[in-house]
Amino acid sequence: MSPVPDNSSSVTREQVIETYLKVLRLIDERVAPLLGKATTRVLVQVAAKHVIDQYPFLHFLMKMPYTEVVPSVIREQLSGVSAQELEIGLDALLQQCFSGLQELTGDLIAPPLHDEVSRQLEQWH
Amino acid sequence: MQTEPNLTLTDSTRRFSTVTNGDRIGSLLQEMEYLNTIGKSFVAANNRFQVHHALLAALQEQYSFAACSILLKDNPFQLSIIPCYPLSQEFINAMIARIASAANVIDFPHVMAQELADAAYLDAPEQPVPPPAMETVGGSEIGSCLNIPLTVEDRIIGMLSLFDTQIGTFDTERLKLTTLIADYAAIALENVRLRESERALWRQAEGERQRLALIISSMAEGLLITDARGAITSLNQSAQNLLSQAQVDLKQDIPLRTLAASSDVPWLGQLSEIVDRALANQVVMNQELIAGKQGESVPLTLSISAAPLHNAGEAQKRPTGVVAVLNDITSHKQIERLKDEFVSVVSHELRTPLTSIKGYTQHLVRRLERRMRTAKQSPTAQTGATQVPATQEPPEHYDLRSLYIVQSQAEHLERLVNDLLDLSRVQWGHLELHPTTFYLADLLAESVHSIQVSAEQHSITLDIKVQDTKIVADRQRISQVVGNILDNAIKYSPHGGQVTVSLQEQDGDYLVSISDQGIGISPEYLDHIFERFYRVRNTASHQYSGIGLGLYVARAIVERHGGSIWFSNNPGLGSTFFFTLPHALETEEGA
Repeated sequence: MSPVPDNSSSVTREQVIETYLKVLRLIDERVAPLLGKATTRVLVQVAAKHVIDQYPFLHFLMKMPYTEVVPSVIREQLSGVSAQELEIGLDALLQQCFSGLQELTGDLIAPPLHDEVSRQLEQWH
Repeated sequence: MQTEPNLTLTDSTRRFSTVTNGDRIGSLLQEMEYLNTIGKSFVAANNRFQVHHALLAALQEQYSFAACSILLKDNPFQLSIIPCYPLSQEFINAMIARIASAANVIDFPHVMAQELADAAYLDAPEQPVPPPAMETVGGSEIGSCLNIPLTVEDRIIGMLSLFDTQIGTFDTERLKLTTLIADYAAIALENVRLRESERALWRQAEGERQRLALIISSMAEGLLITDARGAITSLNQSAQNLLSQAQVDLKQDIPLRTLAASSDVPWLGQLSEIVDRALANQVVMNQELIAGKQGESVPLTLSISAAPLHNAGEAQKRPTGVVAVLNDITSHKQIERLKDEFVSVVSHELRTPLTSIKGYTQHLVRRLERRMRTAKQSPTAQTGATQVPATQEPPEHYDLRSLYIVQSQAEHLERLVNDLLDLSRVQWGHLELHPTTFYLADLLAESVHSIQVSAEQHSITLDIKVQDTKIVADRQRISQVVGNILDNAIKYSPHGGQVTVSLQEQDGDYLVSISDQGIGISPEYLDHIFERFYRVRNTASHQYSGIGLGLYVARAIVERHGGSIWFSNNPGLGSTFFFTLPHALETEEGA
């Protein structure tokens, strides 16, 4: 899914995280009417637990709901992490979220939403 | 004409619009009725099993499936599986595996399928439905599965899972509908949990209340609680006992000050005053109150501490009542009184021989001074001055007699002090003996002589009926025993008379007896005569002098030597005290 643009070196950490936060908000918008408002937030936190070994810089997503991530948190938690590393980590987290969603509802929500998210990611990049 | 088509069009549009609104309202009404029915069934559920059945009924009304399960995030987690019709164990195992897997993606504590299988509770539907086809009952394949978080106020409390043997049973519309019903179920389950928690808290609070009531009723201290007016609302058993002397019903919802005003019990006013001070936000500490009857030597005395009671967080406001603790300090008062009495008696007992010693010493000093003055004047006399006639000065043996009395009283004083010092040693079994070899007859003679000097009204005779009176014992202690008994013989023979000290052999031991012609011992004193601080009373003067330790210490000394001590009333007059002593004190090693 990772739509790492050709000119990735020019993308900032803030831009990467803002893009993925938008993706998560989109997922939340689609999932909340079907599985409740808390589900996406919890899916993200559990997904962060799964990828933490490989991407330890994402531990803040395990500790706090993604809805509470603000620029100061990004600056504080992600200093020293390149935009590319961040994007790879967040993409892995996104895949875990979809895998969780698949676990809950099978093919009802995950596949069409995955397609929509991929399209949006490409647009935003 | 122009308007007709328009009118027709308008009516048609209006009709269409009315139909559409009517359909919409009807549909809304149907939807609301349905939701109302579901809501009522969940609200009526009193326990989680009733919630499960309400959930199953609501879901089965919409579509058919094989089973549902509810996993709650409690500690420990609870899993209930409700099959709609009998299912094979393989199918149930497959369900549990899927539940475990789904639970782990919505932040349940990590749980293994085997743990879930062990904890699973298989609930039976109230109305089982027939399976779609017999062959599917035994199947282990899950065709469709749906897991919906159960959410209350954005908090996931559990997970509803639905399973079917058919593929494609659940679609997005059914998912929306199931989520709607799951929301009701989640709230109903949370309500059940809160009710259970509330009931548990009530049980716990009731248990605590009963425990507190038991503690308060078992307290040795009295506990008294009043309301904001100062009327007693609670009295434990001890307080009831302590305040029973008032013979007033204290728990009649009347402020204490009102009760006190209409009562002639003097201490009720004091109690009311203490409560009023606490109601004025003062803490009253250890206020003494005499609640006993007048005329008692040591009346019932209470120590009362009282503090204002406030509702939590309202310490600055007016108290809602008073809590007072009542302690019975009568025994302390008795001890204080005994202590005062003891100090007074001891002072008196010490002063009596001291007065005698002081008097005779002063007398001797004056005589010596006179004699020295005479000696100085002697040369003058030789040169012609007037000489003092020898008849004006008493003879030398008067001085000797005075010195004997001083010695006798000093020995009496020494015995008193030794008795006092020995009191605690005897109590703790630390009475030490220092045995030496001496003649018992000599010791008796010395004692008789010493006491005779101060007892002019009495005639003390010594009767030694044994040839050899050699003994190994603590000489000073035995002298203390003989002196104490002889002191008593003199003291309890107020009109003088014969006192006989005799020594003889009995069963290989020495037997010493001291007989007097005094008042004897009344039967009521027989059992107490060797008790410490016990003094025989006399009807005229109420009490004889003495500190009540002489015989107590004497018995301890005699028994420590391996002897025994007793007494008997003489047939005619007075009493005789006996004690035996072995010829040689048995040492620890010898024993």
